[in-house]
Amino acid sequence: MPFPILRTPFVVLSEIISLLEPNEIVTASCCSKNLKHLLKRHYQQRKPLEWRLTMIYVESRGRVDIVRDGDRKTVMFASPISELNEPMPISKGYVKTFSRGCSVLYFEDRVTGIKMIVDYVTDLLNLDVYTLEIDRLGIWTIGWINEWQKKMLVRLDFHENSDYTWNGDEALDYELRNARTLDLNILDDNMDEKVSDNFRFDGEMGPMRQLWINFSGHWVTLNNLINIDAISIVVRESSLSVPDLYSFVRHWRAGGSPRLKFLRLELNTATNFEQFEDEFEIFERDITGEYHLNRGTYWHFDNGYSIQRNDGVKAVIDFGDENFVVMVCLGEDVYDRDNYLKRDSDQKFLLHRK
Amino acid sequence: MSSTEQGTSSAAPAEPTTAPESAAAPEVPESFYYVHGKDKVVHKVSAGALQHSALIHGMISNLGYTEEQAKANPFPFENIDGDILQMVVDWCNQHKGKPTPPEDTNLPKQKEKLFDLVLAVNYLEIKELLTYCCKQVAMMVKGKSPEEIREIWMIPTDAEDEAAEKEAKKRAGKEAAGETAAAAGDAK
Repeated sequence: MPFPILRTPFVVLSEIISLLEPNEIVTASCCSKNLKHLLKRHYQQRKPLEWRLTMIYVESRGRVDIVRDGDRKTVMFASPISELNEPMPISKGYVKTFSRGCSVLYFEDRVTGIKMIVDYVTDLLNLDVYTLEIDRLGIWTIGWINEWQKKMLVRLDFHENSDYTWNGDEALDYELRNARTLDLNILDDNMDEKVSDNFRFDGEMGPMRQLWINFSGHWVTLNNLINIDAISIVVRESSLSVPDLYSFVRHWRAGGSPRLKFLRLELNTATNFEQFEDEFEIFERDITGEYHLNRGTYWHFDNGYSIQRNDGVKAVIDFGDENFVVMVCLGEDVYDRDNYLKRDSDQKFLLHRK
Repeated sequence: MSSTEQGTSSAAPAEPTTAPESAAAPEVPESFYYVHGKDKVVHKVSAGALQHSALIHGMISNLGYTEEQAKANPFPFENIDGDILQMVVDWCNQHKGKPTPPEDTNLPKQKEKLFDLVLAVNYLEIKELLTYCCKQVAMMVKGKSPEEIREIWMIPTDAEDEAAEKEAKKRAGKEAAGETAAAAGDAK
């Protein structure tokens, strides 16, 4: 039985719109210019602040997702026209279809396609691009986003999963130099394709909130580490030596890397920390506690060492065969378990009382 | 043991464990009000059930009717069909004094009445029932294509909208011309 939605009072229409899923809103907006205008006006008045718009361009396939409370919904696809099952008339450079609960647009030009769907969804929902998810073939999107929107990207996920024989070193170098983002995540989907052993980076990294190098961190030198301006740094497959790590700790004690709160290096090299206690003045040993990472994960430590910066700020250092971790103890609430356990708590660091 | 502790313990009176039966508050009889829709059929509804409607609740508070006055003066809702008002009254009775669950199975199932029900519920300001009705409307388009949504929600196509706009402009032009002619006639 049809329901004449446009004949309902404004307050009812707003309530119905607010109950729709993001993909349903985008699909409904394709019904008519009039309905699109109504939906657009709704989101101009009520910006969906908790929605995170993600632009994805991986393996030259584009799509736009909306993430809300951890739930991710694709709202629009941009696919190459060669993937159409049957020939269809092209209008304005694309063919519009509907599949898997959302609109799929087939373009002759893939770059135009992703740009067009991002423009459409951001305009409709009154949102900026929050996360950019790309591989080597999507490197160009960094420059485009920087030009296209005033607001800085919050998160950039870089996948090393392209089947094409592009220069991975060049792509990563470009990404590190040009990414203006709060969180930079370098991810790995295909273990066979990594940056070369000779890759080195001589530029600046940061300021950012988080740098997460999830693969091939061998290129991160002591000099890189000292110069990264980030609150949280995770480097996997690091090739830094123990003397390098001691040099970094001395740099931190002297006031270097002042914004750093959490550093974790997963080491690929042989580790021997026997000299640690001789190298630094230790305030406390065998400290236990945890540091809250993302999405409910945390770093737990049982044998931490407490050291102090020249200005009095303390840090716990935890190390083992594979890891070297620095956690900075800021604030008065390092023992406050209740506050630490609260959802969205600012307290990331917890020390257990003995 | 100190003398203070001894004194405190011996002086403490024994507290009664239960209140005497005679002190129990007498039950207040429930008050009823009366409403009717377009069909003039009067429905007797308790004040508790009517609390769901912000509009009727406001009217009751402002009027301060006695039981007799309420019976003699049913609230008239001439813009609501009798069967729709019956659905609303039934829902209010079923949910008297309790919060609405997120998935309300007591909502009337007749889809053809949903539009009229939404208008009535919006008019009577029954927030929970309105939210539930709106959920049903939103559910109608789950997984549907733009063409299917256009049919379900009766959305005119761009061409139909343009034609309607032209027609409206034409009509407005004619009306304006008619008014001008009438004004000229009056002036003569």
